[in-house]
Amino acid sequence: MGTGKQEQQAATPYMSMFEGFRNELDEHHDRRERIIKASRDITAASKKIIFTLQRVRKLGQPVPQFVVKGNAQYWEIIENRYQSISPEVQGLGAYRYERNVTGGNQEFMEALSFQHYLETQTLIPYNDAASRIASMSGEGGAVNLTPEDYILGVFDMVGELMRFSITAMATSGELPAGKAKKAESTKQEAVEDQADDKMDVDEQATSSSHAEKPRNVLDDLRELRLQLEIFETPPGTKFESDVKKKMDVMRECVDKVEKALYGLTVRGSERPKGWVPDLRDERPAEVESY
Amino acid sequence: MAGQTGMVDPAIFQGLQARVDEDTALRDELRDLVQALEKNNRNISFVLSRAHSTPVADLAGVLQSAEEPIQDAVKTVSNLSETASKQSYYKFNNMWSRQMQDVVYGILLWAWLGGKDLDGGEAKCGRLLTIEEVGEVLKVPVNLKDRDAFHLTIEEYLIALTTLCEDLTRLARNAVTLGDYERPLLINQFVKDVHAGFQILNLKNDILRRKSDGLKYRVKDVEDVVYDLSLRNLLPKKEQK
Repeated sequence: MGTGKQEQQAATPYMSMFEGFRNELDEHHDRRERIIKASRDITAASKKIIFTLQRVRKLGQPVPQFVVKGNAQYWEIIENRYQSISPEVQGLGAYRYERNVTGGNQEFMEALSFQHYLETQTLIPYNDAASRIASMSGEGGAVNLTPEDYILGVFDMVGELMRFSITAMATSGELPAGKAKKAESTKQEAVEDQADDKMDVDEQATSSSHAEKPRNVLDDLRELRLQLEIFETPPGTKFESDVKKKMDVMRECVDKVEKALYGLTVRGSERPKGWVPDLRDERPAEVESY
Repeated sequence: MAGQTGMVDPAIFQGLQARVDEDTALRDELRDLVQALEKNNRNISFVLSRAHSTPVADLAGVLQSAEEPIQDAVKTVSNLSETASKQSYYKFNNMWSRQMQDVVYGILLWAWLGGKDLDGGEAKCGRLLTIEEVGEVLKVPVNLKDRDAFHLTIEEYLIALTTLCEDLTRLARNAVTLGDYERPLLINQFVKDVHAGFQILNLKNDILRRKSDGLKYRVKDVEDVVYDLSLRNLLPKKEQK
């Protein structure tokens, strides 16, 4: 018995090798944890930015001063966190920790694109969003915003546009729209109108005299929906399943605005002041309806 | 679609679609290579599994015939490395990580059985290749940090090492069946040493952790074999020294 036992005490031939591995793995785990923490902070700060933005009522102009002031601290947090992780997510690290960064990136995309929309009534281009993050990342190099982060963030932004529309309809009784367009944009509106017609959920109230009217949020939502629906996701990837999940939510959001606008059109004048359509599930409650 | 008609500039999504499609094309290319590597790995393990029924005296033949499938795998890995290096290493590495573990396991087993140091004589068991040595066999860099290219990761090596211990546990019993009472002792020591190494790692709750947790059962399994042998006084006497 015990022949090997004494030898084991004396010789542990692989120890130094494993010590090397331990250092490498510890370093990696520490780095990952720092990145996860930063990403969570970015997510939380972005959510707060979005909350404030939801108090904006006007489209197509710089956000009011209370929003700028109120959100300054959150922008600062986000910039600070991006700076802190940027040296760690360069080169090899960019994709090694991609799944740890993506949460923060997506949420920040949501905030960034929402504010951009409120101010310009357009979707922020991918390159602009990526370079915005790059400029916030400081000297360590840009934190990478992947196309996937961007698209998933845009999906979430649809939910914010829904919330924004419903609140506006409830408080002011109309769907927010941009300012009247110049002459050149009239024919472009007509093209967009055709796109709308392809969808069976058409809005009688807006489509008849559409050409002269400025785009409203619902027009934009439908356009966005169209773009997101025709986007082809690579089969068998996590991105595909993420998009699938968000697609249903996104459609529901557009539906909600359409339903709310329908309600506004049909019963608009009867609607008591301050009445708020149900933001949650639109299915009728079985018991109460009897 | 040309120019911005409304909220969305169509060029945004066209550009993104192009990028995503490019990734998909590369992913397809990689998938073929990974499948090829999987096939190579099956061939390696097909040959090496004969070690379980071959006495040490005849092991050299098995090890020699394993060299060809190993070289095939090395070729596939270098193709994979070339294609994969078109993109950041960690972007797609989960596609081939499993197959890399398997090929490393094959090489570790082959070397442990003595395949690396065959010089016409009898195979000498018990050698553990370091990650650097495995990298040399595979002709790929290991544990890269300063540049972004294809390489063998520490995690892949360590997981392969746990698989090696699992297979050696099986070999310990099969060696006894072949009348070889020496190798179980060697394996006992080896598995214990590896286990001791894993003990000092701070592992997160991931696959490596689970594989490493399983090692203690392998230690026990081999100890049981050694116990059975010592109880019956079958252990080789020279080990007493």
